[in-house]
Amino acid sequence: MRFRRHGAALLAVAAAASLSLTACGGSSGSSSDSKTVTIWSSVDQPVQDGLEKTLQAKVKPDGITIKWQKVENINQLIMTKIQAGDTPDIAFIPQPGVVKDMVSLDAAKPLDDVVDKSSLEQSMIPGTLDAGTVDGKLYGLLVSMNVKGLVFYNKPEWDQAGYKTPETIDQLNALTDQIRSDGKTPWCMGIESDTATGWPATDWFETLVMKYGGADTYNSWVAHDTPFDSDVVKQAGAEFEKLMFTDGNVLGGRSAIASTNFGTAGNPMFASPPKCWMYNQGSFITGFFPKDVTKNLDQNVGVFGFPPATAGGENPVEGGGDMATMLNDSDNVKTVMKALAQTDIGKDAAPTSSFISPHKDFDMSLYPNDVTRNIANVAYNATSFLFDGSDAMPGEVGAGSFWKQMTAWISGQEDLETALKNIDDSWPSS
Amino acid sequence: MTSSTTAHEVAATPTAGERTARPKRAATHFDANPAKAGWLTKTVLIVLCVAWMVPLFGTFVTSFRTRDAANSTGWWTIFTHPSTISNLTLDNYDKAIFGENVDMGRAFVNSLAITLPATFIPLLIACFAAYAFTFMDFPGRDFLFLLIVSLLVVPNYVAFVPMLKLYRDLGMGGTFPSVWLAHIGFGMSLAIYILRNYMATLPKTVIESAKIDGASHFQTFWRLVLPMSIPAVAAFAIFQFLWVWNDLLVALVFIGPGENEPVTVGLTHLKQQLGQGWELTTAGGFFTMIVPILVFLALQRFFVRGLTAGAVKG
Amino acid sequence: MLAKTLSALLTVLLGVGAALLVYWVLNKIAELLPAKWESRVKPYFYILPAYLAIAVYLIYPTILTVINSFKDRFSREWVGTQNYSDLFASAAFRQTLLNTLLWIVIVPAVTVALGLLVAVLADRLSPRSEKLTKTIIFLPMAISMIGAATIWRFVYDAQPKGTGQIGLMNAFIGMFGFDPVAWLQTSTLHLNSLLLMVVLLWAQVGFSMVLLSAAVKGVPVDTIEAARIDGAGERQIFFRVVVPQIKGTIITVFITVTITVMKIFDIVYVMTNGGFNTNVLGNEFWNQLNTNFNYGSASAIVVVLMVAVIPIMIYQVRHFKAEEAAA
Repeated sequence: MRFRRHGAALLAVAAAASLSLTACGGSSGSSSDSKTVTIWSSVDQPVQDGLEKTLQAKVKPDGITIKWQKVENINQLIMTKIQAGDTPDIAFIPQPGVVKDMVSLDAAKPLDDVVDKSSLEQSMIPGTLDAGTVDGKLYGLLVSMNVKGLVFYNKPEWDQAGYKTPETIDQLNALTDQIRSDGKTPWCMGIESDTATGWPATDWFETLVMKYGGADTYNSWVAHDTPFDSDVVKQAGAEFEKLMFTDGNVLGGRSAIASTNFGTAGNPMFASPPKCWMYNQGSFITGFFPKDVTKNLDQNVGVFGFPPATAGGENPVEGGGDMATMLNDSDNVKTVMKALAQTDIGKDAAPTSSFISPHKDFDMSLYPNDVTRNIANVAYNATSFLFDGSDAMPGEVGAGSFWKQMTAWISGQEDLETALKNIDDSWPSS
Repeated sequence: MTSSTTAHEVAATPTAGERTARPKRAATHFDANPAKAGWLTKTVLIVLCVAWMVPLFGTFVTSFRTRDAANSTGWWTIFTHPSTISNLTLDNYDKAIFGENVDMGRAFVNSLAITLPATFIPLLIACFAAYAFTFMDFPGRDFLFLLIVSLLVVPNYVAFVPMLKLYRDLGMGGTFPSVWLAHIGFGMSLAIYILRNYMATLPKTVIESAKIDGASHFQTFWRLVLPMSIPAVAAFAIFQFLWVWNDLLVALVFIGPGENEPVTVGLTHLKQQLGQGWELTTAGGFFTMIVPILVFLALQRFFVRGLTAGAVKG
Repeated sequence: MLAKTLSALLTVLLGVGAALLVYWVLNKIAELLPAKWESRVKPYFYILPAYLAIAVYLIYPTILTVINSFKDRFSREWVGTQNYSDLFASAAFRQTLLNTLLWIVIVPAVTVALGLLVAVLADRLSPRSEKLTKTIIFLPMAISMIGAATIWRFVYDAQPKGTGQIGLMNAFIGMFGFDPVAWLQTSTLHLNSLLLMVVLLWAQVGFSMVLLSAAVKGVPVDTIEAARIDGAGERQIFFRVVVPQIKGTIITVFITVTITVMKIFDIVYVMTNGGFNTNVLGNEFWNQLNTNFNYGSASAIVVVLMVAVIPIMIYQVRHFKAEEAAA
């Protein structure tokens, strides 16, 4: 009966063809084969390779195979795939806000009974577990991290000029003035980043807010209990203006900040003589430095943590990282999660990549160089580790108005008051 | 007098009438150069071509430079300082195509496996529909056609989430057919619109006489209308091929990364979380351009000459 | 690998074959019906498969979208016209509408004009030069929009003053001693929006050239000869003889490009993400959907787009009616 399937003929053919295809590699998501655990992440390839190597060795005795897939922009993809019911077993999510959304869609599974929370609280930097906690339950476990609010400089030139690491924000201001009066340009700065232009400015802001206000104020600001239009945020804004908008403080001047790419903004530091002297960025920026600089990182690059408001006072540190979330709670996936929670999960990743462990008891000798060790120390010695605020704010703000309003203010399209008010107004009501 | 589709008065000689009334072979080529190119014409075209090529050429040169060189000096330095030519390298291509991050060979095959069916099947379906909209009279015809035109404005990403849910229920997520069907659905309205508007310019008399000779619609479609529409069909085939080949969104959403990923998704692995590695994407981008350019060059001869065949009139 | 390639080819054959079979079967069914019914039903059979595809992939999602535009961000609760009032209450959104309008006013007209210019002028070259010219103009079509954005980055890039420029435009004006300009960050007179439009033009002119070139080549030579004998100049011939005869194609291209421009998002997204007053509807939709995960608001934007296309539809209807009357 040929014409009984007239509507479905195409589908039938397609289905037949797909049968032959799925045989050689089918769906991208959760494998029906329960001995295989699929992981998706957007972490850099070397980090992924190292983690995968360690993890595979750890779970091999259990007969588990790890299938680790690198994806671009996992934040968007995971939300789409949750709707499609086509998800991996474990996803590494870089944004607390997305973890929250995954919980509200009932996609992420709680980890409280999977990992040993009390021992993790001992071993991990204070505050790292909070980022993945929603309504008192742990959903996202920080596996690898980056540290923000780090000031990089050209080490040989810096030592020759005899500049000292500042201990407080006031000293940093004094140092800035000193470099300028020496006839040099103190700061490199750039916030251009294609679709995400403005994010480096939000990192600056977050660092300043936490240094001035401390962890509690910072958390209340991220939750919007303290609005943008408040004194502590304005104080951060005023400090930013002082450092960045003063004539002669920034290479190319205020007007160049918004059009200079954050990845290349620091490179003029390594010209001879340096065209600018300090660059405040996250730990990952070393990956953007020119090859002849990174060839011998320890010799060429120095780094210090952005100083606190008062010496010896509260000194939180900002950072980000990738949190493992569990979308499937079969026993094998739980086994993998347990392995990911161990301190030495980074032992193969650390020597060959930008990996930094969130565990304070991680073996520091595994890091490839002193620069990384210094960065890790900045984090391990912090009074608390606070997750990048814009990543925890709702998307409308954290990946929208906060970026855009900062950019508009820096490029002189509006004043700080207006920018802060606009961000407050954009906060979603629900 | 052939009936053209607008009411303009053109002094058409009887020979013109006969010419348009006879479906042309692709090989007919009459001299369409009543006016030869003067220097002004040539200047304008050269300026345009240079303007079109420069951005592309610059990126092409960049794809052979190291990241640090591309970050610090312009691509034109190879002309201003020819000594830097020796610094050019195939590294980016090597890493993009044979690197560990991505299996470009597999992605290449996947791209072909996605693109070919997604090009031919919608074309055929659209041809039939365009024929019905042009040469058949039926109640609701205009409404149904205009609905298709208005649906052109619907961005295809509107359909992503509903379709994903549907695929989930059918268990089709991540398979090739899910992408084929998506491209068939998304490309359909534009295909019908372009083909129908082309068919509307075909001389109606031919169709009428075929009808009088007792040809069925099926025969008319196969023997007359389709051959006469080859230019438009070829044009759309190329467009559709390029769009599907270069499509990232549909592939990313419906197939996702993994075994079945096409080159566009593969290219995204070359970049890291914060955009490190863009120098590889320039190289990878040129590598993926090879096929579309070959397709265009291969079809162009047939294409341009085919296009001269149909008498297109507004 | 080989299996995949073969199965792709097989699918093309099977797919096309199956599609043909469907039509053949439909045709047969129609012929089995009484003659009166046959002619009534056949047209619907011919458009049925196409409409099936459109119904599943466009109409059904569109209806869902309209419904969801009256619901909250997770499509759970009804919120009435809240999404719309929120949109129109925001100054930024009104600006986005204006920017989109600017794109619609400029891009389609220029695309058609340039495409026509190349089609007509290249027509006068020797076949070999013509082919080369057209290939060059067509080339950008072979590049994905994301690739195009990377390419234009090397044109618009701005480095701080005092460092080497890697952007073509700044290097060029630097030769004359001007300071580097942050092109994409300069919203004076919508300069940056115009520069983004250039990227789209660069990518789209090939499309309009191909279709218009076909139309130009189809203009019967004798109509042109006749006008020439009457003593008409080249310009008169073009506007009085050629243009009227390719009007249908011009309208097709114009409408197609207009609609493409209405939903344009990738260029804007990749190059500025709507910053510096370059935002357009398509980009706003994308961000509402994928950054804010606000399904309600995103749906409302699509509905606004759908409403905005109505004038174009009216124009198309009129053209349609004129066509019918002339036939």
